[in-house]
Amino acid sequence: MHPPTPSSGALRRLGTQRWTTAAKTSRQCAAIHMTTRATVPSTKQTLPSHAVRAAVAAPSSPTLPTVTQTAQRRTFHSTDHPPPPGPFGATESALLAAAYQHVPEHGFSSAALAFGARDAGFPDISTSVLPDGEFGLIRWHLELRKAELAGRAEEMFVGEGKGKEYKIPEKIEMLIWERLTGNKEVIGQWQQALAIMASPTNVPVSIKHLAELADEIVYLSGDKAVDPSWYSSRAGVSAIYASTELFMTSDKSEGFTDTRQFLRRRMEEARGVKGALGNVGQWVGFSAMGALNVARSWGVRV
Amino acid sequence: MKIPLRHSMMSRSSARLFRPARHICSSSGAKRALGTSIPKAATPATSPSPSPPTNPEGGEARPRRPLTKEEREFLSSALRVNQAGELAATLIYTAQTPLVTRSDPHLKPLMKHMYDQEVGHFDTFNSLIAKHRVRPTAMYPLWSVLSAGLGWGTAMMGREAAMACTEAVETEIGDHYNGQIRSLLEMADRMERGGGGMGPELKELVGTLRRIRDEELEHLDHAVEHDAKKAEPHWLLTGFIRLGCKGAIYASERV
Ligand SMILES: [Fe+2]
Ligand SMILES: [Fe+2]
Repeated sequence: MHPPTPSSGALRRLGTQRWTTAAKTSRQCAAIHMTTRATVPSTKQTLPSHAVRAAVAAPSSPTLPTVTQTAQRRTFHSTDHPPPPGPFGATESALLAAAYQHVPEHGFSSAALAFGARDAGFPDISTSVLPDGEFGLIRWHLELRKAELAGRAEEMFVGEGKGKEYKIPEKIEMLIWERLTGNKEVIGQWQQALAIMASPTNVPVSIKHLAELADEIVYLSGDKAVDPSWYSSRAGVSAIYASTELFMTSDKSEGFTDTRQFLRRRMEEARGVKGALGNVGQWVGFSAMGALNVARSWGVRV
Repeated sequence: MKIPLRHSMMSRSSARLFRPARHICSSSGAKRALGTSIPKAATPATSPSPSPPTNPEGGEARPRRPLTKEEREFLSSALRVNQAGELAATLIYTAQTPLVTRSDPHLKPLMKHMYDQEVGHFDTFNSLIAKHRVRPTAMYPLWSVLSAGLGWGTAMMGREAAMACTEAVETEIGDHYNGQIRSLLEMADRMERGGGGMGPELKELVGTLRRIRDEELEHLDHAVEHDAKKAEPHWLLTGFIRLGCKGAIYASERV
């Protein structure tokens, strides 16, 4: 595919089976190592020593951004128990973090994965431990950019309460823009990525990612509504984000100003009377109590 | 507690149907006792004590472990169903109060007291749902309609039916909270044995659930004191409402 790719089909065929199981074990080893500081268990001799080294070294690698500790916040977010393990194992993280550096040039492709494997010190065959290939690299991008949002939100809203006030929809718009900014570096590759995300086998995971991003954005905006507007605000953010993201892939304007305006228009539509974000913070849709109260205010003895 | 006069006039079959309800009426104290006695029973006497002094390595407590997927799912669905239940409770009382207090003005303070407590419960679970980032139930609008309708409908039938509604709902809810308390205590026990223990927010949740459970059982007592048993036909009404509660709990834990 790409001439400099250090790929080797023969090696790949040779070792897949053993490698898959070995990688799983090494991931477990690394996890144990990180949490309890236990020594690497006796399964060591069954593993290629460089894999163990890499797996153990990976989490402490300071140069590459990593998502290992990103919790899946969708079920129950605890503030005093540590977060559950992130979506990527240690080996996978090391490989994907390295491969991600090659995405601007080579796209979300097996070439980028192969370069990443080489950079991270894995033999080329190790790309076969990634169950979903290029899609794994896309998921890495999605997780990484989502995980950055919390920190960015803190910086963006730092003036709050000290003279500066933002409304929730304003903050949502700022957060969506911030997240889209995270696509700038890979924008040339993003249309192709969207095509991979939209392939039938990947659609459920892609939708889950979009829902998690929307949940994160609404959460960071400070919207604490837990009534049916919980659903409409998240659905609204998902729709606005997805359409703006697609628009951005064909935006040739300087500094993506067209995309910025596109986002502004979508937000204004959503903020309208019938829009998804029209009633952020309170549920004013149909309620039976509303109907009863109206009847009572008219003097009906119900 | 008043004993319904009609009781002696009942046929054998309706007496049989009545029996479970009588059992409920007398069991609120037992339920309270049951719920609080669980921790001792669930903790095996032989379980090793993880207290720092016996730890050979400098008394350092082991770090808390992450919640497992099952634990997080249990906690999410527990908070979700509790929020739904308290939403329903506030709406039932909102719908009932004007009708009940019109015919029985002396019940105004009681209805207000119970309503205020339900609002407190609802606020508690609203903030817990927001804090722990739990998805609220998708059935929210449906529960709103059904519970307001239930409150209004029973109040239209009279004070006794309104009280029978409270009796039925609180019986189910009391059981339901007890089940959650039990599961949380088992979880705490597992975490203690694992070494890291349970975090303060979950321990506090157990206390919150106990307090709310006790308040619900007080509502049950109030309802029985105010002639819930005189509702006609009591067994049909409470049976129907309890079945409805079970269905709603089942659905809200999942959807
Ligand atoms: Fe309650
Ligand atoms: Fe209650």
